[in-house]
Amino acid sequence: MSTDMAATAAAGPVPGKGAGIEPPLLELAGVRAGYGPIEVLHGVDLAVPAGSVVALLGPNGAGKTTTLNVCCGLQRPSSGELRLAGRSVTGASAETLARLGVCTIPERRGIFPNLTVRENLWMMTQARSWPRGKQARSWSRGAQAQPGVSLRDVEEIAYARFPVLGERRGQLAGTLSGGQQQMLALTRALGTDPAVLLLDELSMGLAPRVVRELYEIVGRLAAEGMSILIVEQFARTVLPIADQVALMLHGRIVNVGAPSEVEEHLSAAYLGA
Amino acid sequence: MDQFLQYTILGLVLGGIYGIAASGLVLTCTTSGVFNFGHGSIAMLSAFLYWQVRFDWNWPTPVALVAVLGVFAPAFGALLHITIMRGLRETTEITRITVTVALTVGALALANWIWDPTVPRRFDYFFGGTNQVKIFGSRITYHELLALAAAVLIAVGLRFFFYRTRTGVGMRAVVDDPPLLQLTGGRPERLATLSWALGAMLAALAGILITPILGGALDPNALTLLVIDAFAAAVFGRLRSVPLTFLGAVVLGLANNYVLAYFPSERWTWTSNFRISLPMILLFVVLLVLPQDRLRGGTITRARERFRVPTMRSAVVWAVILVVGMFLLREIMAPAVVNTMVIGMTFAVIALSLVPLTGYAGEINLAPVSFGAIGTIIAYHYGVTGSGVDTRMTVWGLLLAAAVCAVVGALVALPALRLRGLYLALATMAFGVFVSTMVVADTVPRVLPLLHVEFSIFPNGTLNVPRPRLGPIDLADGGTFLMVITVLFAVLGVLMVALRRSGYGHRLVALKDSPAACATLGQNPVRLKLSVFMLSAAIAGLGGALMSAAMVSVNPDRFVIFVSLGLVMTVVVAGIGYVSGAFAGGLLAGVGFVALQNMFDKVGTDHASLSSLFSFLSQFSTVLPALIGIGLARNPTGFVDDIIRAFEVFRRARVMLAAGLALQAAIYLLAYTDTFSNWWFVALTVLLWGIWPRITPLVSDRLAPAVRARRAGAGALPAGPADGPAEVPLELVGVDVPLTDEHRRVLDRALGLPETAALPGDLAAVPGRVTPSAGIPPAGTLVPAP
Amino acid sequence: MALLETDSIAVRFGGNVALDDVSISVAAGRVTGLIGPNGAGKTTLFNIVTGLLAPTRGRVLVDGADITRLPPYKRAHRGLARTFQRLEPFVSLSVRDNVRVAGQIRDTWRRRGSLGIGKADPRGRGRLDLDRETDRVLELVGLTDVADRDVAELPTGQARLVELGRALMTRPGVLLLDEPASGQTEQETEAFGRLLRRLAQEDGIAVCLVEHDVGLVMDVCAMIYVLDYGRVIAAGPPDVIRADPAVIDAYLGSAEEGAA
Repeated sequence: MSTDMAATAAAGPVPGKGAGIEPPLLELAGVRAGYGPIEVLHGVDLAVPAGSVVALLGPNGAGKTTTLNVCCGLQRPSSGELRLAGRSVTGASAETLARLGVCTIPERRGIFPNLTVRENLWMMTQARSWPRGKQARSWSRGAQAQPGVSLRDVEEIAYARFPVLGERRGQLAGTLSGGQQQMLALTRALGTDPAVLLLDELSMGLAPRVVRELYEIVGRLAAEGMSILIVEQFARTVLPIADQVALMLHGRIVNVGAPSEVEEHLSAAYLGA
Repeated sequence: MDQFLQYTILGLVLGGIYGIAASGLVLTCTTSGVFNFGHGSIAMLSAFLYWQVRFDWNWPTPVALVAVLGVFAPAFGALLHITIMRGLRETTEITRITVTVALTVGALALANWIWDPTVPRRFDYFFGGTNQVKIFGSRITYHELLALAAAVLIAVGLRFFFYRTRTGVGMRAVVDDPPLLQLTGGRPERLATLSWALGAMLAALAGILITPILGGALDPNALTLLVIDAFAAAVFGRLRSVPLTFLGAVVLGLANNYVLAYFPSERWTWTSNFRISLPMILLFVVLLVLPQDRLRGGTITRARERFRVPTMRSAVVWAVILVVGMFLLREIMAPAVVNTMVIGMTFAVIALSLVPLTGYAGEINLAPVSFGAIGTIIAYHYGVTGSGVDTRMTVWGLLLAAAVCAVVGALVALPALRLRGLYLALATMAFGVFVSTMVVADTVPRVLPLLHVEFSIFPNGTLNVPRPRLGPIDLADGGTFLMVITVLFAVLGVLMVALRRSGYGHRLVALKDSPAACATLGQNPVRLKLSVFMLSAAIAGLGGALMSAAMVSVNPDRFVIFVSLGLVMTVVVAGIGYVSGAFAGGLLAGVGFVALQNMFDKVGTDHASLSSLFSFLSQFSTVLPALIGIGLARNPTGFVDDIIRAFEVFRRARVMLAAGLALQAAIYLLAYTDTFSNWWFVALTVLLWGIWPRITPLVSDRLAPAVRARRAGAGALPAGPADGPAEVPLELVGVDVPLTDEHRRVLDRALGLPETAALPGDLAAVPGRVTPSAGIPPAGTLVPAP
Repeated sequence: MALLETDSIAVRFGGNVALDDVSISVAAGRVTGLIGPNGAGKTTLFNIVTGLLAPTRGRVLVDGADITRLPPYKRAHRGLARTFQRLEPFVSLSVRDNVRVAGQIRDTWRRRGSLGIGKADPRGRGRLDLDRETDRVLELVGLTDVADRDVAELPTGQARLVELGRALMTRPGVLLLDEPASGQTEQETEAFGRLLRRLAQEDGIAVCLVEHDVGLVMDVCAMIYVLDYGRVIAAGPPDVIRADPAVIDAYLGSAEEGAA
């Protein structure tokens, strides 16, 4: 219903990007989705403008993860549209979206526990080996054709950033600590240079120090101009790096704005007024 | 010592071949999530095809190998996955099992069609049978060395593939987490297709390598079963681990050869049977030691199967209709047809055993006919009185057969009930194979130790099973037998409906829907599953004893596992949740397809000019049931359900129903007076009831305005589908439920789709509900920071 | 009196600690809340209490008796009942039969109501008059109007009530509710809160409530435990919890850490 509005709204001033006419990189328009008979999203509109960081906040059960699943193609919306750079990709499979440069780190399970660290890194090289920038070129930031990433590249980036992963490259990923597992998962964003990064509850079950470390990396990616959608229940962790905050309640987005505006609503939304 | 070495090496060879087959099975199972009961039939078809190109068409060996292993098998496997198996997501385990069982049944029929089973076909060892090497004094053929080398190569190759190639690592990743693999850009479906291609190739290789070692002529049944032996090795690897699977296979191969070497085959007449049964026995042992599955929440499958529950009244009405109908039919049937019909009805009773077990409780028994074999044996040995022409089976014999089958059923099911449904399917299948290779194959009389009586389970390979006598009713007469078995089926059928409607039935269904919820409500899952399995086995045993009595003389071939598989498949296709599904499925499996085939054969011989067409149709009707079974993926509730729905149009068109019945009566009269033959009767009846429900809506629509005028206002949904809501008065629909949802539900039902229930309130439409921050402009648009 | 106690429960999945040294006690006659951010281990704790999952360490006690090694169904016989966060209705049965079948299962138990509770029902240990009891429970949870519908047709909020009714049919002494209000409308949640209080106060049931609607929890619970990273970080009555800075940090992320 409000797709036009979403587009216009998103085309507003975007930090770090001069071109205001660009459509948002990732966009949901009037999306409804659910599991079987249960509808979870009752018409969600959301846009991630190019080069900005959007935080999707809200209490548990609000529909954040479902929203993310629609964005990455794991869940098909029952109605509404998913757009990448203005092009409808509703119904595209998760692997197609991944190969188009949508990098998703799902909550808690961003790694294959029974594969070694190195094999996990190997799996990450699938994202861009096809279509070799052909489709990606048409919309991905600027018009860069992305060649496939080799295992060696990914390994180099990963071990340089997280030396601990290098020490444990032959170890099964499931035996790493929670923080190390998330580092490994996050390597996919570092190593494959995606167009959009979707993060689901990066901090879940991790010690604050580790969370801080991880978000430092996310912050750096954001500074490099990557478009990021962060789903997070720990609002305070992401507010500093977010350009915009969308607050979600009961399967709808109820508030959108700059972090400073939204902050006052948070307590009420989370703990009940 | 030399002998030991010789048998060890041959055991390793056999184990290696088992390993090749079993690793292919594990590969497809882990990557695609479908356990392929038809794995053996791929091996069998490939072996036949290899014979065809290599020995019939005399292609050079390498070309023939490439054609079969490099082209046919992988293409066949990939095709199976793309066209059939991929569609099995979100179906129940029963459906998945049945579809691959149908593949087995279909492949057998196809092989018998293409390669006339009466012609012996052999193929020789690779490099000939005389080319041997001596290793530590034992003679090994080149062929056996080749097999061993192939096994080692494949074990090493698979290891390399899984750990050193990205595709292989991807397959392991699929096992871990398919959605995550998608998120990294991998394509699980493509990997699954590849795994089917690879699995089929390995099955084919195993089939080609093992055939000469077995010796003798190519036999589709034996070849299919041989690869089924590999199931034991796969289960040893818990359907996951390839190295463990190879280990299991080697144990199997060695055990087989040591039994061959060291069991005194002369004193123990059962040695060779035991050797053949060994894989199935080992499968059981492995099942016993597997750790219990954990009950999980969130296991609800959004299954597409939905069975409705008939009322007691309609169950009784249909039971009476069945009995009366059968009585009328009997009047026009030739005596030979009556006997065939009796056999069909006994099959229907065996099929009925699957209704509570599979239809209600969601567990499966792949060997109901094997329980029938046990029932037959018990009734034959302990339930017969009189002698000569007066030999009769007693009621007590039949009841004893049922009771013993219940106990045997408990023993078979208990180890597997702790595990998921697939393992019960495997356990029952192992039992079925065990019964045919060990129990009914026990044909040579011997003196039992301690008891000092001469005994064999299946004397001389033929049992002359006497007809039962129930008090004053003697079933030696076919017509009487038919009526008694029909009444028995009707009574059991009504009991099954009563069972479904009872607290016990509700508990069964609840257990199927959510084992976790059931357990936390205080239901012991194993005990409940065990009880229903015992009930099912008892009914199958009773039906089997009656089947044997109907056939008068039975041989072990009646009880091979493929008969059971065909029956299970047909019943699931007909509608496993319904008594009528058991009726239709049992009749079709027992006599229907055979009758069809006979009819085409007969017509073919009558009309010589068209004989090739009719012989094609006749052969085709042997493959037909399997094709229907494979189609199950599209309609998992079964065809009986479709028929019931089709007939619901008569609810609002009684006149048309009456007219249809009148036509049926006329057809019957013409047959009764021998104006035309029974074939015409069957054909016209099928035609009538195929067409009548379809033209009824057209006719009644024309009549409808008149009817509506008469009943002004009391209307049902205009032209709504003939389901429940049609009865709901319009005013109620408007108040209670939004009209659209109700419509959609009805539509979904009619289309057999999963129910999309009423949406949880279109929030915007609910007055009084205000979103917390109502002042914000259009929800969800990203408003840029000012 | 604490009907349900967990004693230093710990559980690990692989190398990850899901629960660590969790001891809570749930008393008869009141609602005990269990809250905490996603992944804190609440559902895991329920699974351990009801026997769907085995703990690495620690004990589960019902009425003082150690039930840590009992299978799930035997725990139900001792008076435990639960609902599921991810709904587990019996989809082949109508709403009424969903509730009724729980009573039918209860009728097959060898031992019933060992907790000696169920004051409202003097025949609590005997067999139930199933029809009447089913009607009573349907009325109690407010599903009488939809009793003959397919359970799959119901919206989430009502489907959760079906699970509650099903649990109540077994006449439990301890009732574990896993996010029962998610998917309910505000009016439904309000009515639900009243129902919970009634079950605790009138029937003397020990209710343990996992819920994300913190408003509801604060409203009905006499005692609240807060789980975070698999540990109990706070315990006490609602006003204490509401004011506890550790709790606010757990929900919103620690202020000074996150700002880094």
